[in-house]
Amino acid sequence: MAAGQNGAGPASQTILVVGGGIAGVTAAVEAAEAGQDVILIEREAALGGRVTKLNRYFPKLCHPTCGLEINYQRIRKNPRIRVMTMCEVQGISGGRGDYKVSVQRHPRFVNERCTACGACANATETMVENPFNYGLDKVKAAYLPHEHAFPMRYVVAPEAIAAGEGEKLKSACAYGALDPDDKGETFDLHVGAVVWATGWQPYDPKNLDVYSYVHSRDIITNVEMERLAAHDGPTHGKILRPSNGEPAKKVALIQCAGSRDLNHLPYCSRICCLGSLKHAAYVREQYPDAEVHIYYIDIRAHDKLEAFYDRVRADPQVKFIKSKPAHIRVGEDGRPMLHGERTIDREIYAEPYDLVVLATGMQPSAVAGYRPTMGLVADEYGFLVPVEGDGEGMFSAGVASGPLDVSMSVQSATAAALKAIQAVRNA
Amino acid sequence: MTTPAPAAAKTYDLSFARWVRDNVNGGDKLNLCMQCGACSGSCPIGVQMDYGPRKLFMMIRAGMKEEVLSANTQWNCTSCYRCVVRCPRGVPVTYILQDLAAKSAEFGYAKGPHENKNFAQAFWWSAATFGRTDERLVTMRYFFSLGFGEGFKRAMANLKTAIGMVKTGRMHIGLPHMTKGRKGLKAALAKAREIEQRN
Repeated sequence: MAAGQNGAGPASQTILVVGGGIAGVTAAVEAAEAGQDVILIEREAALGGRVTKLNRYFPKLCHPTCGLEINYQRIRKNPRIRVMTMCEVQGISGGRGDYKVSVQRHPRFVNERCTACGACANATETMVENPFNYGLDKVKAAYLPHEHAFPMRYVVAPEAIAAGEGEKLKSACAYGALDPDDKGETFDLHVGAVVWATGWQPYDPKNLDVYSYVHSRDIITNVEMERLAAHDGPTHGKILRPSNGEPAKKVALIQCAGSRDLNHLPYCSRICCLGSLKHAAYVREQYPDAEVHIYYIDIRAHDKLEAFYDRVRADPQVKFIKSKPAHIRVGEDGRPMLHGERTIDREIYAEPYDLVVLATGMQPSAVAGYRPTMGLVADEYGFLVPVEGDGEGMFSAGVASGPLDVSMSVQSATAAALKAIQAVRNA
Repeated sequence: MTTPAPAAAKTYDLSFARWVRDNVNGGDKLNLCMQCGACSGSCPIGVQMDYGPRKLFMMIRAGMKEEVLSANTQWNCTSCYRCVVRCPRGVPVTYILQDLAAKSAEFGYAKGPHENKNFAQAFWWSAATFGRTDERLVTMRYFFSLGFGEGFKRAMANLKTAIGMVKTGRMHIGLPHMTKGRKGLKAALAKAREIEQRN
């Protein structure tokens, strides 16, 4: 479709990247460094998405903050990138070279004059569930999203404004950064191509009713385990039982909790095996006497990742049990009790644990949030797939396009950036 | 150089899995099984089975026809459907076990006095004859099908329970309850049998 045919405006060579996780950030810096103007919009208050909430990466157990910091430097140094946080796409029309995107900005109540001094946090008495730690702890209602936030700017939860603290917070701020009357806004963007990097959400463990997630605080998900092991998490990095704060010395990691299950997510989420191997390493690093049992159907550590599997397997205190647990009950001592069949020796087991981690899979965010109705199609699971050869300027990257790990997301984002550049230059 | 082939300790019928697929209700879904063990782990009476459903399915694939058809697994299934609800691959475990039981009886693998088979037959006799199950007749027919001595022994052992049930109105005395349209029921069953023969 030729530019300018769909609307009144001239052809735009600006690329819009929707979603500021690792895929969106990568697509944005790659496109901008190749000379395109890029607008990066993010729903949350800070960039980084799910990756920011990870403690370490597999297989090298290095810290995600390292790579994110490099990417944020690339954004800061590049005048071609505009970052908009707390913004969501509401609708889109037009065609390649000439998309009109309507965007909703949610109120942050804090403007760009913020110096992250923290005076507003001291002034508020309202506490809210900490979204950064998946609600495992509480945080002041005026807060920095996390210590590594980009942009480094506070955000005020609507709860504080609702509690009537607006004026108090405003007077506490010495820089005039606080705006209790912020109502948010809607505005339109005119862009030439769109990269959808809307990412994923953890599959809701409440749907797995046989695994009793709601019945025991000691049954957590893999994303919560990341926060438990992180130094800026609810336990400052100590892996403790959420029910009583005691060290978790006997830990069960359950694979395919939701994934590869026709009743839940029929596909393999691809990251959980390696994620759980990493969790085994977290526990064993902290407690020399801890036991970790990994319940699996089969371990999918593909190509180079098998070396990490071998490394974890060499630890005699990490046991691999081939079994999909049938159900979890809460035992008389309050500990979660796993029931099922060990398929190698056909023994029925009932085994108590201090902590059970459900390796819940990845569900595309597009199942709950906005998804484009043109230019891309959602497959039966909600992943966004480009329509080959339709001449559109819409592309998907990262987990929005399918279950991928971080390195694969970065590759897919770079590929999407290249396609978007070609789309706007040929428009 | 030739490698000596190991002598098989068991006999395998390599056409058995295909036969199950083509002849057993739900058998066409058996190839979806990924051996995760959710069925056997969920089974409330799995410990009372020779093999859990997962292992039985593996044995079907391996062609262990004799062991599969003479197993008690299919007979001990109580049709609670927990495995069917939980199976991540949508394998209709209960249907497969039910039809495997019928097939084992048909091919003479459940010989002699066989608790589950005899009970099922007594139950079916009552249902097909009266359109209802009569507790007294089903129980008696089942007990005495195991032999006269055994039947008498069991009847005596259950006498107190039976009297208690009659007293509290949980079991009646007199003619068995029957459905109204018994002619229709008989015709329906005859037609079903005819269709079964045809297939």
